[in-house]
Amino acid sequence: MNRKWIWIALVLFLLPIAAHAVWFYTGIPVRPQVKTPDYKDMTMPLAPLSTPQSQDKLTQLGGVVVFDGAHTNQYQPGEIQALTDELERRGASVEFDTVAGTLANRLKYASTYVIVSPSVGFSSDDIHSITAFVKNGGRLLVFTDATRGLLSVDYFTGAQTLFPDVNAINPLLASFDITVNNDYLYNLTENEGNFRNVYFDQFSKNELTFGLKEVAFYGTHSVESPSGQVLLLGDDKTLSSLTDAHSSAEGGAVLNSDGNVLVFGDFTFLSTPYNGVADNATLIANIADFVLGGTRQHMLADFPYIFNSKSVQVFPTSNIQMTAEMVGALGGLQAALKTINTDVQVTDSAPVHSDAIILGTFTSSDDLLPFIKPFGISLDKSSDYVELPHFGKVGTTGNGLLLFQPNQSGNTLILLADTDTDLTTLLTTLSSGSISGCILQDNMGICSIGSGSSFSVESTPEATPSGSGTTPTPTPAG
Amino acid sequence: MKVPELKWEQVQRGLLWIALPLLIGILIATAIPKPVIGVIRLEDAIYAATGQDLIAQIDYAMEHPEVRAVVLALDSPGGTVVDTESVYLELAKLRAKKPVVTAVNGMAASGAYYLSSGTDYIFAKPTSEVGNIGVIGYLPPSPFIYEDIISTGPYKLWGSPRDTYLREIEMIKQGFFQAVTLGRGDRLKVGSDVILRGQIWTGTEALRLGIIDQLGTESDAELKAAQMAKVWHYNVIDLAPLAVPNSTLNVSITGFFAKNDQGALLPYPSQPGLYMLFIPPLPTQAQEAQ
Repeated sequence: MNRKWIWIALVLFLLPIAAHAVWFYTGIPVRPQVKTPDYKDMTMPLAPLSTPQSQDKLTQLGGVVVFDGAHTNQYQPGEIQALTDELERRGASVEFDTVAGTLANRLKYASTYVIVSPSVGFSSDDIHSITAFVKNGGRLLVFTDATRGLLSVDYFTGAQTLFPDVNAINPLLASFDITVNNDYLYNLTENEGNFRNVYFDQFSKNELTFGLKEVAFYGTHSVESPSGQVLLLGDDKTLSSLTDAHSSAEGGAVLNSDGNVLVFGDFTFLSTPYNGVADNATLIANIADFVLGGTRQHMLADFPYIFNSKSVQVFPTSNIQMTAEMVGALGGLQAALKTINTDVQVTDSAPVHSDAIILGTFTSSDDLLPFIKPFGISLDKSSDYVELPHFGKVGTTGNGLLLFQPNQSGNTLILLADTDTDLTTLLTTLSSGSISGCILQDNMGICSIGSGSSFSVESTPEATPSGSGTTPTPTPAG
Repeated sequence: MKVPELKWEQVQRGLLWIALPLLIGILIATAIPKPVIGVIRLEDAIYAATGQDLIAQIDYAMEHPEVRAVVLALDSPGGTVVDTESVYLELAKLRAKKPVVTAVNGMAASGAYYLSSGTDYIFAKPTSEVGNIGVIGYLPPSPFIYEDIISTGPYKLWGSPRDTYLREIEMIKQGFFQAVTLGRGDRLKVGSDVILRGQIWTGTEALRLGIIDQLGTESDAELKAAQMAKVWHYNVIDLAPLAVPNSTLNVSITGFFAKNDQGALLPYPSQPGLYMLFIPPLPTQAQEAQ
């Protein structure tokens, strides 16, 4: 009896509670297990270890490497020290060209011209000088960088405009069929600590990529050259910020078709500590070998930096009399060449296999003929003019003739004038260290030296080599 | 027919065994509170003050049984890393007990999306801005000697080497990415190559990528939260007035964002630091891009 009432009471007690619950609740929620990131096991991504460098003694290649500093370049010398150190270890002399307008003269003796992240464009004169320099075997090395640029602030509005270095460099590189894109490469999956620090592990076959397995660049433009060679390429997930796509035609570095122009999209990899990451040090060493490995073909316009060796033989042919005035002029030339570490020695026999200066007159002699023969010039004693290829008929009176014959065994400069007096004047002109007042065409030149008087062409002042404090020696031809 | 006489003893028994239990049951039933869907709003950046307010509301929701589920209503560009992580971890504790559903109103970018990735379900409007997954920070300067301040180590003044700082940001980004992948699980339809681009998507695009679950409004989120909590006939209550009566939420705190000379707020923080924050491109930056 009591049990029945207990059940009734219990049901009646629970009924409103259950009704209330059913009114509000449809069931019992089951909560999932909530996982949060495993913070304690997270680590900073570290740079891969540097590949040990060879300690072999390096071949002393010599040469002068001129770094551009005249185009508001966005770098400090310390940032490229890894490269300049490698160059100096190979016996090279490093100069920084910081004065606008002196480039043409510096390129006369440079083996390689290096441009790092310029902000100001190159003038048409500069572009002409550089393309001529490269055409004659000089090497051009260009570093751009996606992390550099010139920020311009409008004085009145405060508006900021960034001028990337690609704007300044591309007009020059167009001559070599190379373009640096106004972008940066990135890789979200395989990178060196940040998406914009990309690895390159696909290399074209070239001495520049010898010994490389992986290099890391830190904010690099992509570089392309339809006719050239892409040297460094990332994997398929290395994308350009411009397109968010991968292109096998765009890499971190390219070499032009002639192999004399090397362009990088980054130079941060040269700076500490990034120069020690992965195979970056090997790449920098390879770049140094490239820089000093050119076969520069000197032209007459490069005077006085036209000789390969440190000693030049001066050979007065049999028609020349060494007058006191001529001895004085030769002394001046000797002093001029001494400033570029080139000794002058006078010899009475025709030089063979050496750099030489041949002195002669428009009156032919047996010992002169072999030297002028390659130029196709015939000297007629009775004539008032000589006929020169390209120039036509050139009067002998008051004109001096410069003929330059580059050769593997030694470069030869031939000086011809009507008389000993004119030749002396011509030598005096050369002693100034410049022949910019002469008409030059290829390796032939005509200088007006007056009518046998002391008249000479005034030369324009030119920049003297500076930077490393040493006097540059001419870049050896290959 | 004779009607049985109701004896006092029977009345007494009826009151004891019928009326009393029913009355007690009714009283107890009425004492059971109506279920509540709590709404936690964030309409500002995430920084110390807003972070503390959010955590106070999360605590309130955890401690009050009538709050059966929570809707996180977001309109935020994100904020500091440390405050975002603090709120995220507290939110994870709440989510272990009660459903949490996100309703993206204007924007859930960067740190705000970090929070939403730790909820059960994400609603956004078709043109809400969602994503911007990643970390930003101001690189410290390279160390130099500052004569007027004496310090005891090369990084005492600068915090850390620039390179280390960059790598730390990468580590923090991995945490963000893990939070997204753990939170979204199989619902995520894209990989790290898309997620880590830092892109901000519209709600529609975010839905296609699995960044969110459904297009909808805050009321849709409330309904979803109720369904997940298995409740109906519920109340929807903003938790801020209950949890933090003096809440700073919904008040534009000017200390976080920088100001220009005219006093106008700029979209970037006033202090250097590490942020999970979406900074819209300034007109000058757009000019640079061109």
